[in-house]
Amino acid sequence: MLADRLTGLFMVVLGALAAWGGSRLPPVPGQQIGPEVFPMVVGIGLVLCGALIALGVGHQFEEEAEADLAKITSEFEADQGLSHQDMPLWRQAFVLVPPLLLVFYYLAVDRIGFLPTAAVIVFCASLALGGRVRLALPMAIAAPLFVNMIFVKLLRVPLPSGFLPLPWIGLP
Amino acid sequence: MMSTLLEAFRMVLQTDVIIAIVLSSIYGLVVGSLPGLSATMATALLVPVTFYLSPIAAIATIISASAMAIFSGDIPGALLRIPGTPASAAYTDEAYAMTRKGQPELALGICVWFSALGGIAGTLSLMALAPPLAEMALQFSTFEYFWLAFLGLMCATMVARSSPVKAIASMLIGLLVSCVGIENPAGTPRFTFGLTDLLSGIEPIPALVGVFAVSEVMRAMLTPEPPKLPYRRFGSILAGQLALTKQYVAPQVRGNIVGIIIGVLPGAGADMAAWVSYSMSKRFSKEPEKFGTGHPEGLIEAGASNNASLASGWVPSLLFGIPGDTITAIAIGVLYMKGLNPGPTLFTERASSMYALYIIFIIANIIMIPLGILMIRIAAMVLRAPRAAVMPVIIVLCAVGAFATGNNLFAVLTVAAFGAIGYVMERFGYPFAAMVLGIVMGTMVEQNFVTSLIKSDGSILPFFNRPVAAVLAAMTIAALLWPAAAWIASLLSAKRVPKAGAA
Repeated sequence: MLADRLTGLFMVVLGALAAWGGSRLPPVPGQQIGPEVFPMVVGIGLVLCGALIALGVGHQFEEEAEADLAKITSEFEADQGLSHQDMPLWRQAFVLVPPLLLVFYYLAVDRIGFLPTAAVIVFCASLALGGRVRLALPMAIAAPLFVNMIFVKLLRVPLPSGFLPLPWIGLP
Repeated sequence: MMSTLLEAFRMVLQTDVIIAIVLSSIYGLVVGSLPGLSATMATALLVPVTFYLSPIAAIATIISASAMAIFSGDIPGALLRIPGTPASAAYTDEAYAMTRKGQPELALGICVWFSALGGIAGTLSLMALAPPLAEMALQFSTFEYFWLAFLGLMCATMVARSSPVKAIASMLIGLLVSCVGIENPAGTPRFTFGLTDLLSGIEPIPALVGVFAVSEVMRAMLTPEPPKLPYRRFGSILAGQLALTKQYVAPQVRGNIVGIIIGVLPGAGADMAAWVSYSMSKRFSKEPEKFGTGHPEGLIEAGASNNASLASGWVPSLLFGIPGDTITAIAIGVLYMKGLNPGPTLFTERASSMYALYIIFIIANIIMIPLGILMIRIAAMVLRAPRAAVMPVIIVLCAVGAFATGNNLFAVLTVAAFGAIGYVMERFGYPFAAMVLGIVMGTMVEQNFVTSLIKSDGSILPFFNRPVAAVLAAMTIAALLWPAAAWIASLLSAKRVPKAGAA
């Protein structure tokens, strides 16, 4: 329920910001309905919904749905003796690995090229998922080459080659 | 009519289309069978590939990959008690109970056989429903389209397996996302925060890839690796299926019809169809006590239902550009890119393409049987692929795929951001399918809302006094009030229960 309070309040703030931001948009001369109407309607709706969520309205629907799913998933997780609730905080932070690796791709690919960037991503993600170096290292070499072959050779997507110009695999 | 049909066959029987169907079927079977990789994710990762195919081949890959993935999600469900896709979750227990009784062939046979039959039933409904609806839709104006889009959004929140308030909030967030950029009736840049990359708005496809693929990889970071599947020899997979088909006619018909209806409802897809059908099957069964002990009835009904919903999900998508489920939400993006803009005229001007689409659906559901049996036999090998090898490749594919949609690196950041958003929403019980619908339909809702208001000079009367608009408006308002009514009813009954207990 605390989570509902927090996310509900977040929705209220987000909706208020959207409505306020929308109201400041310049109107179109000679027209009553400008670009500000839609964001304001949506923003006000969000404020209302956020308030309802924070007050706990509609929570029992969720409990019913969760009960159905929990029958299947929780028993399995209990069998494995693992549930993410009792993981240490640093281990839970692993959840951020995939988006951070994508940000890394954004920053690095034009500088060092596709193959090294993808190799770093595959290697790190594989280790984070509990893979051994014995698996992660060959994957880090093979997977980028494979993706490169599909996208550069077959689909002709211009992936940057960086400092590894390899004309024989389609990189300039 | 006849010449269009022949033309459609000619379009489907091209070499590239046939190759596309076979390869994407295999891809769909593999992705669907791996736990944690859903059918929607399979479709999302296919999008960059479809760019480089002919329009018919592009649609063929999406149709066959999604149909196969929905079926093959049943395989780990039956053998390991872990649903491969969310659509299999509803009857995983039942299928696993059959395996434990020593009938894995029967369980998997039911899954493949009735999935194929359900898929064909769904296709027939698409063929029967779409043309007359297209006829009607030709007379729609912006008022009707506004209500239709609004109704679509409300349906998605009504059927979400979560709190309706949270579903509406998710949908509104999606609409807010669609506000970003200058793609609005006034052409004013909105919420761009001075970033040129945001001027063209947030591209739906990278956002969907993030929500459906990256958030799954994020979840995998915290969940334990599924156990390995033991090798086993299967007997005949299809043995006894014909007898079951004859024995359980009513559940099948009911499953198909429920699946078709849920498929047509915007935003509700295969997983919803399976849950509803399974519980309906239990309610109407003559032997409900057998459910959960490895009884074929519920499996037949729900297995048919989720595949039937897949085809009928295309009805609103093709007619109005309103996605029938999350898979068609992605498919609509592909349709626009391929010049097959959704709308009623698709059925009059591009009739042969539509026939081709039906034919592909039928072909995909027929080859599902042999390919599915093959997949069942090698499942133990495929499911041995460790997550630490599969998931990293998916991250790379997300990055490259998003980049390929517009040769724009900013899309990669969009993927990352929406991955995180999707994960957080799921964790706190906000259904992200509703947000996806908001993102996909936002522009359409606003366009029709604003043009209607401009046309009527700010008056809201024309929204209600056209006959079709009035009916749609009534339905929308009912959908809007339904959660409130249900909530009040539950409050009243909650008050009554302790009183009864006290007495």
